[in-house]
Amino acid sequence: MVEQSSASMAVAIEGVHKWYGDYHALRGVDLAVAPGERIVICGPSGSGKSTLIRCINQLEHHEQGVITVNGAVSRNEPKAARAVRREVGMVFQSFNLFPHLTVLENCMLGPMWVNRTPRAVAAETAMGLLERVRIPDQAHKYPGQLSGGQQQRVAIARALCMNPKVMLFDEPTSALDPEMVKEVLETMLRLAEDGTTMLVVTHEMGFARQAADRVIFMDQGQVLETAPPAEFFGAPRHPRTQAFLGQLIR
Amino acid sequence: MTAIDPMLETPRRVLRNSGAAWRRLFDSPLNVALSLLVLAAAAMAVPPLFKWAVLDAAFLPATPQTCQAHAGACWSFIVAKHSQILFGIYPLDERWRPAIVCVGLIGLLIYSVRPSSWRRGLLVAWLVMMVAAQVLMGGGIFGLTPVSTALWGGLPVTLILTVVAIGGGFPLAILLALARRSELPALRVLSTIFIETMRGLPLLSILFIASIMLPLLLPAALVPDKLVRALIALLLFAAAYMAEVVRGGLQAIPRGQYEAAAALGLGYWRTQQKVVLPQALNVSIPALTSTIIVMIKNTSLVLVVGLFDLISSGKSALADPTWRSPAIETYIFISAIYFVLCFGFGRFAESFERRNKVSR
Ligand SMILES: Nc1ncnc2c1ncn2[C@@H]1O[C@H](COP(=O)(O)OP(=O)(O)O)[C@@H](O)[C@H]1O
Ligand SMILES: [Mg+2]
Repeated sequence: MVEQSSASMAVAIEGVHKWYGDYHALRGVDLAVAPGERIVICGPSGSGKSTLIRCINQLEHHEQGVITVNGAVSRNEPKAARAVRREVGMVFQSFNLFPHLTVLENCMLGPMWVNRTPRAVAAETAMGLLERVRIPDQAHKYPGQLSGGQQQRVAIARALCMNPKVMLFDEPTSALDPEMVKEVLETMLRLAEDGTTMLVVTHEMGFARQAADRVIFMDQGQVLETAPPAEFFGAPRHPRTQAFLGQLIR
Repeated sequence: MTAIDPMLETPRRVLRNSGAAWRRLFDSPLNVALSLLVLAAAAMAVPPLFKWAVLDAAFLPATPQTCQAHAGACWSFIVAKHSQILFGIYPLDERWRPAIVCVGLIGLLIYSVRPSSWRRGLLVAWLVMMVAAQVLMGGGIFGLTPVSTALWGGLPVTLILTVVAIGGGFPLAILLALARRSELPALRVLSTIFIETMRGLPLLSILFIASIMLPLLLPAALVPDKLVRALIALLLFAAAYMAEVVRGGLQAIPRGQYEAAAALGLGYWRTQQKVVLPQALNVSIPALTSTIIVMIKNTSLVLVVGLFDLISSGKSALADPTWRSPAIETYIFISAIYFVLCFGFGRFAESFERRNKVSR
């Protein structure tokens, strides 16, 4: 791959280390994500996948190395963290919608109170994105009244309302009943087709095959293998990748 | 938002089912026995009470002679002395001033109950009301005769103590609760020390410290008015208790809520204001209601430092030797006022809670 400066990258992660107390959770991770690129991150549980993508928007703070998002350094300092978060949308495994607000209000909160968008404009944008995730008819319901799949699609719309340059997904379908996984993955596939820069932690290998530009395998806080999906699934090089993929096959 | 709240239907359903409720009182031998016991007790207690409070009671004319002529309750005393009980030793000719303050405070309280009135303007209305209360009660401007706070008494004092202690204590309680959960150790320690000190001391001793020790410790020019000292003591005490209730509510908010807010780019205060506190306070409503009702009743303790709240002005009215000192009737009257205040607040809290339940 041609060496590019980190400033032109959507996300550039260079030599990042992270400790939880004594536990060395990330051990020198490097990863450059070009604008529009779709990355799928997989690996066994506890390998540091969540930690890695949470360091990008400073939900976790790394001790060593540099992370930049669109050239802005992401570091443990309120102003810098907020500047990065404005550019980065995040979707959690457990949705984390605000239960006291309607679906529409969930989507309007960020634009109104972070970007100071006027209410009417925020509402219009939010409706537009709820249409994009195909639940505009639920706009005035509360999250508790929706199914898991619908909630996760609202969470995606809520993140998109901030017009992020990068979208992070941390196992977005792991908390869903099987019949709802599909509707969320379809929503994510449409995002991918629209050219959104995405980093997705998931074990949905179908999604990886269809949408990913590169698949990354992590184990014990390190990136062991990076390859386009065809190569990753067809001819994995690292023995631990092979073992991991072997387990995934039903 | 316009959806019909299923909870609002509950009371009517209970009424409609009252026949079933009656039947349940007699559906087992034990229930029959218990119900009969209660009915018998009521049959024994209610007629004499009714006889005393209504049939044999003295009403008008409101003179000591009327009371002597009747064996029952001496309501004539309340009729004759209501102004003294309600307004204490406030100068007779000026009692229209505390009367306006009471009407204003109660009116604004009732207005504040309506959810549609919860706007920023309401806060302004309350601030204006408090200034107006001070001007009306204290006088000294607009040609109003000055009346020292030493002469204030009765219902307006109780209302002012309640509104200031709870209205001022609540925002402070939120700040204290947030400080106690802060990541800054200094804030956490200070807030903890304050809360635990306030909760560790009896309210009586805090009132004594504020009203008796403070003047000894501070130069005279710096010592605030006695009423103000009691107000501050009550406010801080109420804040400490409410802070712990709010903290309990904060603990109920999952970490994911903070993370979702942070991921959107919301800062600390916006996260608290828009995401955390609305949920935390809603969780705390029942406990907060009890605490606030206790605090309303606590205001009566200011009588120990020589302030004339409703109970002390009732007591001083009883001191008139021309009457045969109808203490029971006086305390029933005062209790009724407290009951209306506390019950009214409880209903308010309930409607607030029900309104927020729609979103569950
Ligand atoms: N807040 C935390 N405190 C301590 N250890 C943690 C914390 N979060 C994660 N870890 C540890 O770090 C490792 C990586 O966790 P995580 O990034 O969540 O893994 P993954 O998402 O790949 O399953 C795990 O061993 C986990 O136990
Ligand atoms: Mg994880």
